[in-house]
Amino acid sequence: MPDGNTPLVSVEGLRVEFASDGGTIVGVENVSFSVAPGETVCIVGESGSGKSVTSLSLMRLVEFGGGTIAEGRLRFAGQGGEIDLAQADPETMRGIRGNEIGMIFQEPMTSLNPVFTIERQMTDGLRAHRGLSGAQARQRALELLQEVRIPEPERRLKQYPHELSGGMRQRVVIAMAMACRPRLLIADEPTTALDVTIQAEILALIDRLKRENGMAVLFITHDMAVVAQMADRVVVMYRGNLVEEGPVGRIFAAPQEEYTRALLAAVPRLGDMRGKPGPEPLRLVGADAPDSVQAAVPPGDPEPLLQVLHLTTRYPVKGGLFRRTVANVHAVEDVSFDIAKGETLALVGESGCGKSSCGRSILRLAEPTSGQVLLDRTDVLALNERDLRRKVWRDIQMVFQDPFASLNPYMRLAAQVAEPLSNFGIAKGSEIEDRIAALFDRVELPRSFMRRFPHELSGGQRQRVAIARALAVSPKLIVADEAVSALDVSVQAQVLNLMMELQSTLGISYLFISHDMAVVERVSHRVGVMYLGRLVEIGSRAQIFENPRHPYTHSLLSAVPIADPARRTVRDDLKFRPIPSPVFPVGHEPAPSVYDEVEPGHLVLRQQAS
Amino acid sequence: MRIPAAFRRSKGLIGAILVLSVFLVALLAPVFIPEDWATQMDMRARLSPPTWAHPLGTDQLGRDLMYRVLLGAQTSIYIASAAVLMSIVIGLPLGLISGYVGRTTDNVLMRLVDTLLSFPALLLALTISAVLGPNLQNTIIAIGIAFTPFLARIIRGEALRVAQMPYVEGARTAGNSDFRIIVHHILPNIMPAVIVQSTISLAFAILAEAGLSFLGLGTQPPDASWGLMIQASRDYLDRAPWTALVPGVAVAVTVLGLNMFGDALRDALDPRAKGGS
Amino acid sequence: MSYLVNRLLSMMLTLFLISVITFTVTNILPGDVAMMIMGTQSNPEALAGLRQSLGLNDPLIVQYGRWIGGMLTGDWGNSLVFKEPIAPLLLQKMKASALIVLFSMSIALVCAVPLGVWAAVHANRWQDTAASSASLVGVSLPDFFWGIMLILLFARGLGWLPSSGFIDPADDIWGAMRHALLPSLALGLGLMAHLTRMTRATMTGILNQEFIRVARAKGLDEGTVVWRYGLANAVGPVMTVAGLQVGYLFGSIIVIESLFNFTGMGWLTYQALLNRDIPLIQASVFVIAAVVMLANLIVDLLYVAVDPRIRLS
Repeated sequence: MPDGNTPLVSVEGLRVEFASDGGTIVGVENVSFSVAPGETVCIVGESGSGKSVTSLSLMRLVEFGGGTIAEGRLRFAGQGGEIDLAQADPETMRGIRGNEIGMIFQEPMTSLNPVFTIERQMTDGLRAHRGLSGAQARQRALELLQEVRIPEPERRLKQYPHELSGGMRQRVVIAMAMACRPRLLIADEPTTALDVTIQAEILALIDRLKRENGMAVLFITHDMAVVAQMADRVVVMYRGNLVEEGPVGRIFAAPQEEYTRALLAAVPRLGDMRGKPGPEPLRLVGADAPDSVQAAVPPGDPEPLLQVLHLTTRYPVKGGLFRRTVANVHAVEDVSFDIAKGETLALVGESGCGKSSCGRSILRLAEPTSGQVLLDRTDVLALNERDLRRKVWRDIQMVFQDPFASLNPYMRLAAQVAEPLSNFGIAKGSEIEDRIAALFDRVELPRSFMRRFPHELSGGQRQRVAIARALAVSPKLIVADEAVSALDVSVQAQVLNLMMELQSTLGISYLFISHDMAVVERVSHRVGVMYLGRLVEIGSRAQIFENPRHPYTHSLLSAVPIADPARRTVRDDLKFRPIPSPVFPVGHEPAPSVYDEVEPGHLVLRQQAS
Repeated sequence: MRIPAAFRRSKGLIGAILVLSVFLVALLAPVFIPEDWATQMDMRARLSPPTWAHPLGTDQLGRDLMYRVLLGAQTSIYIASAAVLMSIVIGLPLGLISGYVGRTTDNVLMRLVDTLLSFPALLLALTISAVLGPNLQNTIIAIGIAFTPFLARIIRGEALRVAQMPYVEGARTAGNSDFRIIVHHILPNIMPAVIVQSTISLAFAILAEAGLSFLGLGTQPPDASWGLMIQASRDYLDRAPWTALVPGVAVAVTVLGLNMFGDALRDALDPRAKGGS
Repeated sequence: MSYLVNRLLSMMLTLFLISVITFTVTNILPGDVAMMIMGTQSNPEALAGLRQSLGLNDPLIVQYGRWIGGMLTGDWGNSLVFKEPIAPLLLQKMKASALIVLFSMSIALVCAVPLGVWAAVHANRWQDTAASSASLVGVSLPDFFWGIMLILLFARGLGWLPSSGFIDPADDIWGAMRHALLPSLALGLGLMAHLTRMTRATMTGILNQEFIRVARAKGLDEGTVVWRYGLANAVGPVMTVAGLQVGYLFGSIIVIESLFNFTGMGWLTYQALLNRDIPLIQASVFVIAAVVMLANLIVDLLYVAVDPRIRLS
């Protein structure tokens, strides 16, 4: 057995190549680092950094994706003495995978085989490695499910993956990886696809299992906040190369490399905005220091730009022979708020809470069931299709989440930005061209991009084009639906800064829909928290972040990982919070939302006895 | 052993060359080959194996198989192309409307399409051809109608997928009319699927025409058609197998070329293969 | 349970629509039953009389009502060509066709699934190129061309198998198999090529899924990963494609049964079409469409058995 000083794993000069139609592509090169027993090492990097390739190489799974380990050693201090995993034969690797090294992946929804029961998937590894009988393996599987604190483990064994929630599936995957008490657990973005409260649970679980078993963890993530919470040591990667390595405290306090500094500067930290009056751009490395004074403070106009009153949106669930409505998804339930001119209202909440439906309902991209949406005193919901086009979309525009799906791939960018200009009669003839050029300048894109097609642009650039298209009509309000969520953190910061800058110069309002509390704290004047279709709490940014009153807001805020290793919030394992279903039978009318005003402008949903 | 990319890509190239050659033959053969070369009966050389005088042999009436198979290309390609064109002309608007408008229109149209899909395409084509009376024009109509439900179904699925893309919603809020959205935003984005499907349908249409003619319910003599030639060969298989092989290989080469080209097109236009980072 | 009820109701509706389409299409025929019975040279008055007595002057909707009423009560009328009641005739021919349809489907599935999986496992390597090229050629050849090749090789060349005729398995099981083998192969080879391509495509997609990577990360051997974890997920989609091919098969049997003089449903339909035997055309087209629909229903129900995700929804 190796002592505490010998590393469990040491990667030396790793180089991985991929054969492709255009020749050989280098996945990672010259990567060296080590993991000591019982230590958590985080590999952090943006997309294309090679962090996943590195972890897959350790399992020699990279070969199944067409990669080959061209150079380097992967020394692993296993039970049978030290071996070089890069040279191990397939038989040896099978004995190590799932036995001495366990691995969990990003997508809990697709990590489990949909047509096998949980029991079958949990036991086959045990039977292969430990030669357990069916009954013994079953017993062990039960213990493992208890260890990862899954309620009703007996019943779970008989279930299929689709019957479990995402968080529970990830627990099953972790239990599977823990089955043979591995000495190293590789976790490849294990919480990226999960909601923030579930993420907190899973992080706590991994941390506890690590401490209880003295296991080492190699944690791959793009999220600096998660790194700050989990890591003992950090490895920063960029474009297939190792940039910097060191203890987590040092990396965050005194990063040596330019790239690490830039990465850290782009990360919004929850709590950074405490005591500040309004939104403030991030200070990015290499960019001009943004002018924080210029950030717009909402003018004290008493007349709101947009008033949403008792908005309710339900989607029918169709079924049966004639596709009748058999139930309703209550996506938005009795939601009211208003947005002033030049103000950013953020709607936050976890997936399925109705925040996106709410934004889409305001533009009538989803058809609301009842309520009122008053735009300059005109009820949007009462308009016909023609007036909708003429009045509403002239004033409200939308920016979507997925930059790869929000632009028509077969149309030149200039033509896409030109559409609103000609359709709304804003400009004619050669004037259009000038306007488009001005809009491209506005979103800081070179004019040469006007003749290009979307696939020639990066994700961040596309999102700028989408913003330019929205700006074309000089809207009063832009609904930004997770507009920066799909972007890498450095690009995300640039787009956020652009949005804030546009607000301060053009005075537009935003309905900023997001799941990311740290981003919301950075950009918003006021914040509304949504849960199960209801707005559970709304108030100024300071009121929500510094004085949360609703229990859900509390649990949301306490679950957010903070990008600061000095403020660790990962606690002991949390309890399960079952997520109620928003599907109700036809005719079900829930009680109206009643609010208590706990301080001026700070409303909290009154808890209903249920 | 990994097959080099160049070789894998050559599938499309070979397919394209085959398709192009057959189309050229269909187009040029009638110009350069006088019709009577194919109808001239050489009574001394009936069912003759390939010779210098008749490189691909002759049929039971002593007609030269090479000329007949070259001229037959015209009929097969013409019927198949016209039939596929017809199914696109009917299926494209149906599928687009069904997918974009949705609701009751979609339910009714798709119920009808699903019902039509319960009829085997060949049975439907044969029945229509028998009902209308077999001739060249009715063969086109029969195959065209039989293929329409497949096309409508596929286009409807694509239209439904594209209609839900954020860029279509963006186009709505940009003030575009439904017509403009369908023409400028949905149509271009479903075209790759339509092109791939048309290529594959063309291959199936060639097979269907051959099948119909083989059964005597397609092209009628004296028009030369590959299916008809195979039918005529049935009674002489023992003595002159080349009478079946020559037109059979012609059909196979054409369909193979179309399938290869279609496969390569699908790989190239597959939405999963492009975009994304 | 409600799923089943819904499917059955939906099936009734489709059957109704099938009957309407069949009846409408066959009524566009220029000739009518009376002319078929009496011949084109017949006395116009006698023809009119027969039309009247057959109800051919009634509105189409009334004629449809009478026809569907007969279909539902088992009175399917008489064939004009075969001069006998249609129902027992169809049943007998359907049995013959079932033999080659099931036979060819079995041959195709047994060969195509392993071949397709094998090609997917070796995607973009020579094994895949070989299997994919072969199946591409397979789907490009017309069925009747396969049939002719088989006849040339096994019947004329080697003399191992008969090239024509049908024998009832109840009379002579060995003879029946010998007569069914070539037509089944002619149907099955193209089908096999098609299913190989489908299996390969499905498996290629499955082998790229995360749960396959997880299975490998557990240390399971490749055999288990591919043939258990992978294949279990491919069964449903492949079955669905196979089900859809039943429709294709019922089109192909018209050609193949005629080629092999195999007196089944396809041969019967062909005779009906050639001779414009309207009652027989109507009945056989309706029955074939119904059988195809039924096959797809069975596949859908089987899907529920192999994919646990369907059960709840």
